[in-house]
Amino acid sequence: MRRSMKLAAVVLSGSLGMASLAACGAKSTDNTSSAGASDGSLKVGMAYDIGGRGDQSFNDSAARGLDKAKSDLGVSVTEAEAKAGEAEADKETRLKNLIDGGYKTVIAVGFVYQQAVDKVAKDNPDVKFAIIDSHDDAQPTNVTSLVFAEQEGSYLAGVAAALKSHNKHVGFIGGVQTELIKKFEAGYRAGVKSIDPQMPVEVTYLTTPPDFSGFASPDKGKEAAQGQLDKGADVIYSAAGSSGNGSIEAVANNKQGALAIGVDSDQATQPALAKYKASILTSMVKNVDNAVFSYIDSVKKGAPFTGTKLFDLKAEGVALATTGGKIDDIKTQLDQAANAIKTGATTVPTAPAQ
Amino acid sequence: MANHDINLTVRSGTVHALMGENGAGKSTLMKILYGMQKPDEGTIAINGELCEFHTPGDAIARGIGMVHQHFMLADNLTVWENVVLGGEHLYGIGGKAKAKIKEISDQYGLGVRPDALVEDLGVADRQRVEILKVLYRGAKILILDEPTAVLVPQEVDALFDNLRELKSEGVTVIFISHKLHEVLAVADAISVIRRGTTVGDADPKTVTARQLAEMMVGAELPSPESRESTVTTTEMLDVQGLRIAKTDAEGIERVVLDDISLRIHKGEILGIAGVEGNGQAELVEAIMGMLPLDAGTVTLDGKDLSGSLTRARREAGIGYIPEDRHRHGLLLEAPLWENRILGHVTEKPNSSGPLLDPTAARLDTRRIVEEYDVRTPGIEVTAASLSGGNQQKLIIGREMSHQPKLLIAAHPTRGVDVGAQAQIWEHIRVAQRNGLAVLLISADLDELIGLSDTIRVIYRGRLVADADPATVTAEDLGTAMTGAARGHIESEPEAVEHFHEILVEGTEAESDAGPTDTADDPQAGE
Amino acid sequence: MTSPNPPAAKRSLAQRISGERIVLALAAPVLAVVLSVTICSILLATSGKNPFDAWNVMITYATKSDGQVAILNRSTTYYLAAAAAAFGFRMNLFNIGVEGQYKVAALFTAYVGAQINLPSIIQIPLLLITAMLVGGLYASIAGALKVYRGVSEVISTIMLNAISIAIIGLLLVPGIFAPKQGTTSNSIQTDPVSQSSHFFSFNTAGGNLWGFIFIALLVGVAFQFVLTRTRFGFDLRATGRSESAATASGVNVKRMVMISMAVSGALAGLIGLPELLQNSYNFGQGFQQNLGFLGISVALLGRNSPIGMAFAALLFAFLDSTGSQLPLPKNGGFPFEIVAVMQGTIVICVVVAYELVRRYGLKRQQQKVGAQLAAQLAATEKKEAAA
Repeated sequence: MRRSMKLAAVVLSGSLGMASLAACGAKSTDNTSSAGASDGSLKVGMAYDIGGRGDQSFNDSAARGLDKAKSDLGVSVTEAEAKAGEAEADKETRLKNLIDGGYKTVIAVGFVYQQAVDKVAKDNPDVKFAIIDSHDDAQPTNVTSLVFAEQEGSYLAGVAAALKSHNKHVGFIGGVQTELIKKFEAGYRAGVKSIDPQMPVEVTYLTTPPDFSGFASPDKGKEAAQGQLDKGADVIYSAAGSSGNGSIEAVANNKQGALAIGVDSDQATQPALAKYKASILTSMVKNVDNAVFSYIDSVKKGAPFTGTKLFDLKAEGVALATTGGKIDDIKTQLDQAANAIKTGATTVPTAPAQ
Repeated sequence: MANHDINLTVRSGTVHALMGENGAGKSTLMKILYGMQKPDEGTIAINGELCEFHTPGDAIARGIGMVHQHFMLADNLTVWENVVLGGEHLYGIGGKAKAKIKEISDQYGLGVRPDALVEDLGVADRQRVEILKVLYRGAKILILDEPTAVLVPQEVDALFDNLRELKSEGVTVIFISHKLHEVLAVADAISVIRRGTTVGDADPKTVTARQLAEMMVGAELPSPESRESTVTTTEMLDVQGLRIAKTDAEGIERVVLDDISLRIHKGEILGIAGVEGNGQAELVEAIMGMLPLDAGTVTLDGKDLSGSLTRARREAGIGYIPEDRHRHGLLLEAPLWENRILGHVTEKPNSSGPLLDPTAARLDTRRIVEEYDVRTPGIEVTAASLSGGNQQKLIIGREMSHQPKLLIAAHPTRGVDVGAQAQIWEHIRVAQRNGLAVLLISADLDELIGLSDTIRVIYRGRLVADADPATVTAEDLGTAMTGAARGHIESEPEAVEHFHEILVEGTEAESDAGPTDTADDPQAGE
Repeated sequence: MTSPNPPAAKRSLAQRISGERIVLALAAPVLAVVLSVTICSILLATSGKNPFDAWNVMITYATKSDGQVAILNRSTTYYLAAAAAAFGFRMNLFNIGVEGQYKVAALFTAYVGAQINLPSIIQIPLLLITAMLVGGLYASIAGALKVYRGVSEVISTIMLNAISIAIIGLLLVPGIFAPKQGTTSNSIQTDPVSQSSHFFSFNTAGGNLWGFIFIALLVGVAFQFVLTRTRFGFDLRATGRSESAATASGVNVKRMVMISMAVSGALAGLIGLPELLQNSYNFGQGFQQNLGFLGISVALLGRNSPIGMAFAALLFAFLDSTGSQLPLPKNGGFPFEIVAVMQGTIVICVVVAYELVRRYGLKRQQQKVGAQLAAQLAATEKKEAAA
């Protein structure tokens, strides 16, 4: 027994010796031809949040902007995707891998990348970074924040919900109780209140940080929506990434003609949700695609955005989708509310009132 | 390895006893006969017809049935439900099955009540249910594995009557035992197994107990030694008014120990007789500090230990040979030297301060292995690879190595071969001469009478009777164990004299009495 | 009759058993790894990818300096996680709550590290103690529930995992543990820990090698020492092997449960620290999750032995680090999930294989001892016959 331990110890120390070799060994990126844009075209790398391309929501919206830039601006692109429960180092490695691949413009989708972007940007001052949905006062100058006034779009969603609710009872489902999603809730509540101050708003968050699974669990979304339907809510707004697909499904299966409000993308046009189209009232579209496209465009033109770029209602960063024509009849009220926001007559809160 | 060159011929309609010390290979042979293990070579023939068993099912189909030492009954079902369970295809599960059970019971005089709940039955009744179960499945050959181990003498006689009844109805019985006088009383033929092979057959009409014992051991037996009392007047253990009550699942309070008081002096062996399950295990655990007391005190050598933890009691000088050495005495998967530390980790030579001293522990383990004749190739092998007797010798060596003031020996020779048994008795006697107080708990009345200076009888958690081993017979002790006799019991002088004649043959020769566990099969015991 | 065989023969058998033990000990994990590589190769092949390319990508990355640093840094964390789980496992105490314990501990440590700024020589031990204390106390809840209320530690620690998320959700909000921030920031984290809290690291060609690897090594050595060389360790192992025998031998099992649970939790407290004190310097909502469960897998694979777990941690770190290279377009865009499949199959296979090997080993030893004794007996009989 003791002999076997000794043997194992020798092997272990041998494997640790690997580390000392590492100090003078070759790096994995040494022989990649990081010649940059060798063919002259701009190379854009995109790092997605959990869910990646195909989440029918936030990441897909960013992907559309990238696709548009690829076809319209002729940039070459590459993509990478986060996985659940990964370490901070994994995010950094992902960004570095993009840079090492010669992609000198990097777009990080989602605030979870903030720290990794700050760190990698510091080490790579020649690379231009954009981060969506996040801002950090200490971020390096080569990082641009692309942020949205989600509360403003959500306000309109709230107005629409309140006007369309038969039961005078609406609901909100947040994926994860983060500051970002709280902005959705705050705007939505304010919008509902502007129509009927007494109308009850059911609020459910699927998970709380650090558990981010609420953004990618359609089953949880479905369960939460069913719960709200059972309580009597008949218009449900879900800001929950792909979990929202579950709540839309639950709403669509409801016999009483309840309605769902989608988020981020125009969800009524998405193939995966096409069969529930009839139950989707509208979507609070967050034009991540526009933001992504205009950022890439600005880089290509040689005048990249800097600092924090806010995409609000006025800048058409957020809007309500009109697919299906279900909100056409309340267009006047919505336009009115939108104008009040644009002119500053209405200030939408960013945190839900307690 | 376990069995070789076994030749056994059993005539139909007889009771054939299979004898051998533990580890001789009886269990392996039975497993082969019952299809639980496949022989490497050799054949089995029934009524002249060669057969091959792959599973117990094959054996049952051939009319072989086995009654295990440990009953396999569902407590919360009735007798007939237990019998039918797994044999539903035979006579259904309705009235036909019940009628069949009644018929078998009457035919063989088993006297089984089909509607009684098994949990309400005593050990002997349960055994009859097991036999019935096997007969219900059409067995014509019955294998009984140590059936008398759990029975008191009166119940043994009843069992033997049943066996004779079975025999007269044409059933063949293979009876495994190592209790010489039982075998002589019931068997028509005897085969003796030693070291995995049959060493010979004997005719019970002509053979003596001593001759049988010598066949089993394969050597001359040591002659009995005369004993003189070593009991002193110095009190070592004083137990007063012990009471333990447990509340069961239904909220009913069950008293397991009630008002137990006993004293053991230096150099005295106090034997506790009783049918298993009457509070012996709890008494031991109470003295060891493993069970909390509801009332009473435990004083060792003038020191009150009632509130002490087990470790403090061990340090104060209690040595412990547990009833179930696999569960309480050993770490089966640990090497011998670690087992030597077990229970004495705070004492020299195992540790100094908070640190272990493996070197010293190893050295001392070698000493124990030598002094106590533990047969092992080394001290790095696991305890599980030793035979039952050698495991027990290691435990005794360990407990004796810390100069105990009191030794609690629960069934010290259970599942131990004859040779080791004599050695263990000798170790206890030597320690007694040196002033050790011993609390001996045993189901083997011969062992109790042979070793003890005083005997107390425990029945339903109370000490109901006492006896002087010099003036009592096993039969009378057995009566007291069933609760039929109280106070001081003394047998007829001529009965005692007659009993002592058997005892002289028995105590020394008889291999382990008492319910043996599967100690001859070291894998068992998880 | 007493041990008639000469000491030389004794040693040779001991050696043979020991040699065989090594083979048996290695057989299970090697089998498991081979089996899972095969399963994953088939999976890749059926999805139309060349499995050899995938293995090649992984192995190539592991030969590069940055890959090696990534593996070692990762295995530092994994090792601590495994040690935390294994400490309980050694006495059959299933602390499934490592997950919650390390997160709560890291949160509090990050807060303390941000609030206090002492010289490193005091600051770092202070933070280590804080983490171990918080982790230990959190785990002790489960220990106390088991001892005083008989609640299975499996149930209570799973519950405590869920509660830990609520605790973090409650505390990690602006104004409590996180600084008040402008409205544009969506990412919430504690203030960064003070400069003096930063743990040292080695700057190598492949990036920073975390100095915490020494803490991990220290934990491994202490683990082994406590278990094999102390009375406490003996009691712990005895309880793990047979609780009934331990109780009879005088081990105070209740006390052992309390202590082991606390120690397991204290070790769990260290899990988040390499990340906290070497990389992110704060505890944010994105702090790495699932390390506790990963630790259980690593402990299982490493058979709860300090050396075994080191190999297991390296293997898992290798898979995770090199696996992250698989999805890159330049490497052929393999699905990353293949790594998760591999880890899963390795753990399942290894659990089965260990049990098989254990039984085989036990049986084999019994046979050997039997054979040895028979030979011994035959020798004495011959001698007696000659005499």
